[in-house]
Amino acid sequence: MRELAGTWHRKGFTFAILALLPALIIYTLVRFIPIIETLRLSLFQWNLISRRKPFIGLDNFRELFTDSLFLEALRNTTIIAFGVLAITVPLGLVLAALIHHRTRSRFAGFYETSIFIPHVVSLVPAAMAWKWIFDARLGPLNTLLGFFGLPPQAWLFDPVLAIICVIVLCSWQALGYAVLIFLVGFKNIPQSLYEAARLDGASALQCFRHISIPQLKPVLLYVSVITLIAAFNIYAQVFVLASDSQGAPGRLVRVLVLDMLENSFRNYRVGYAAAEAVILLAIVLALTAIQFRVFREKGRP
Amino acid sequence: MTFAGSTSGKPARKRPILAITAAAFFASMLPAQAEKLTIWGGWPEMEPFYKRVGEQLKKKYPDLEVSVELIALREHEKRNALALPSGAAADVIEMEVEATRYLEGGLVPAAPDNVVKFVKDGKHFDKFFQDSVTFEDKIYGVPLFRGQTALYYNTDMYAKAGLSGAPKTMEDYTPYAEKLTQRDAQGKPTVSGWSLRLSGGGQGVAEKFWINLFQFGGNLLEEKDGKWKAAFANEAGRKAFKQYVENVQVLKTVSPEMKADAEAFELEQTAMFIRESWVIGDIAKKSPNLKYATAPLPRGSIVIPVNLYVPTKPGKKADLAWEYVLQANEPENLQWLLDNIGWLPNRKDVDYSAIIAKTPAFGAFVNFPSDYKFFSLPAIAPASEILTRVAARLVDGYTNPKLQSDAAIDAFLKEAAAEVDTILKREGLLATP
Repeated sequence: MRELAGTWHRKGFTFAILALLPALIIYTLVRFIPIIETLRLSLFQWNLISRRKPFIGLDNFRELFTDSLFLEALRNTTIIAFGVLAITVPLGLVLAALIHHRTRSRFAGFYETSIFIPHVVSLVPAAMAWKWIFDARLGPLNTLLGFFGLPPQAWLFDPVLAIICVIVLCSWQALGYAVLIFLVGFKNIPQSLYEAARLDGASALQCFRHISIPQLKPVLLYVSVITLIAAFNIYAQVFVLASDSQGAPGRLVRVLVLDMLENSFRNYRVGYAAAEAVILLAIVLALTAIQFRVFREKGRP
Repeated sequence: MTFAGSTSGKPARKRPILAITAAAFFASMLPAQAEKLTIWGGWPEMEPFYKRVGEQLKKKYPDLEVSVELIALREHEKRNALALPSGAAADVIEMEVEATRYLEGGLVPAAPDNVVKFVKDGKHFDKFFQDSVTFEDKIYGVPLFRGQTALYYNTDMYAKAGLSGAPKTMEDYTPYAEKLTQRDAQGKPTVSGWSLRLSGGGQGVAEKFWINLFQFGGNLLEEKDGKWKAAFANEAGRKAFKQYVENVQVLKTVSPEMKADAEAFELEQTAMFIRESWVIGDIAKKSPNLKYATAPLPRGSIVIPVNLYVPTKPGKKADLAWEYVLQANEPENLQWLLDNIGWLPNRKDVDYSAIIAKTPAFGAFVNFPSDYKFFSLPAIAPASEILTRVAARLVDGYTNPKLQSDAAIDAFLKEAAAEVDTILKREGLLATP
């Protein structure tokens, strides 16, 4: 009997491996190999054109931490990423809760759709529209400020305001996805928990705090990780939003991906850009690990 | 050895030979496949010019297909950086000084004899332009046009401000800008007196600073025995930088959020600015009724040669690509280029007088004082990186209120120059003092 079970187990294992093989091969080709190659390149003075590509160990990393442009890009990216996270997750959760508990409303579908649309709109046209909104001279935002007697602001030319603009745009785009995932999470919470709580006299806020949030912890973790990773990788939004009439981003909202792109394809320093990518990977992995720790429930992996 | 399943009994290895022979015979009976030339460039306004050249060549080769793929300059540079090392570049590509990197790397073949003869002919090009396509005594490309700057000024605004002509010295630019600035009731500028490049991407900010610096007798980089060093942490640098700070922070004749450059000039949102000759063609298209004039700069101008190269390996297609390049340099095409697009062609044995007479704005680009000086970007690998890094510092500096005193400006420039020298040192290009 035990032998038979062992045979089945072996067969099942072999089948699982065979079934997973195509995906594993593809994943290795498009994910693992490029990551390993990036790690390797970061240790070389790997110029895109030069035939000499000497091994330089950790020199690229040493140089990065004295590079004012990289440090500025790192600072901006971090501020933007945490700004987006701080807006998207709580707001997404609240909106999802409101939509979920108003499912009988005739407008529930409309709300869901209107919140999700920004997520599926193409990045560039969306950023162009926001660029117009933030325009210092012709933008509706300054017109609105004028309506309330407030002075117009140079939204995309002030270092602080420009970063705020990028955070607003990225949050607006990420919110739809967060709401959608939270809605799925809400739908998976057993209604009996809420009913029992209401019988005990719990208010809506207490239900949200003591039932919804603990039950949504895995979803919260997923949304937080995805939002943070996406925010650390922003490029197109900044490129479009912070471009001036010359059509290129200034330094005000320089971000890591832009810095990498410039170092690799403008300065041809691929090894140096690879070192930046390694640092970005390390930051994202570290933040993901921290989030796992924060959201991990006692007794659960 | 015979194939087991063969019924003919003939050796099996003869089968593929027969098949290949038959395929080759039938293939030879098919009509010749159309040859395709791809042209890459970084100035989208050049599209009608390249298409026109392509049409001319098609008369000679009816099967020829010419694909013109022009994108924004910085994107074009990235495209070259990716495509040239991998051998996937177009057949004809535009390049500025960055070409040196690719020539050093052996990624672009040298030009054939007929092209070399054409370029080396002193009747066609000045030595400066011949040198721009030469690397280690070999010719690699053909000069086409150049970026050269002059002052553009709105004559109506000048008249209103009581100004009769262009500023004679660089110092004059600031009081001119002050007089020309139009403000609202709160004193905020609504029309800038002088549109300065205060922001934007890449190296443009630093290039424009260099042009102004040059008028004060300075240079961003200086060459010494084939090596280079930063040369702007001095009095000329201070004067040039201080002029920006004065205009932006003190006099407020311009601000970063105002419309800038050619767009602002065409919309009458700035009274003057310094730019290349392509603006003339742009104004003719977008703002034909604009009243404006041009003037040479006080001391001299930047000259950035744009050349055509053929990365395709020598052969039939490369020959066709070189023929295209030479066709682009035909007098009739160069006249058309100046007249319709506005870029200044580099070939000198062509009569441009009728076009210049018709469009007086070209005068500032071709009729300059005898002591007028020119400079170009250094043809060294880290040029773009140096300019980009200087530009990043300048963008911060122009609006930084701490940078108004001479001491603060000097320290700022010294720090920027040190960064430039660090890059040069890393590349083994730093000149010893």
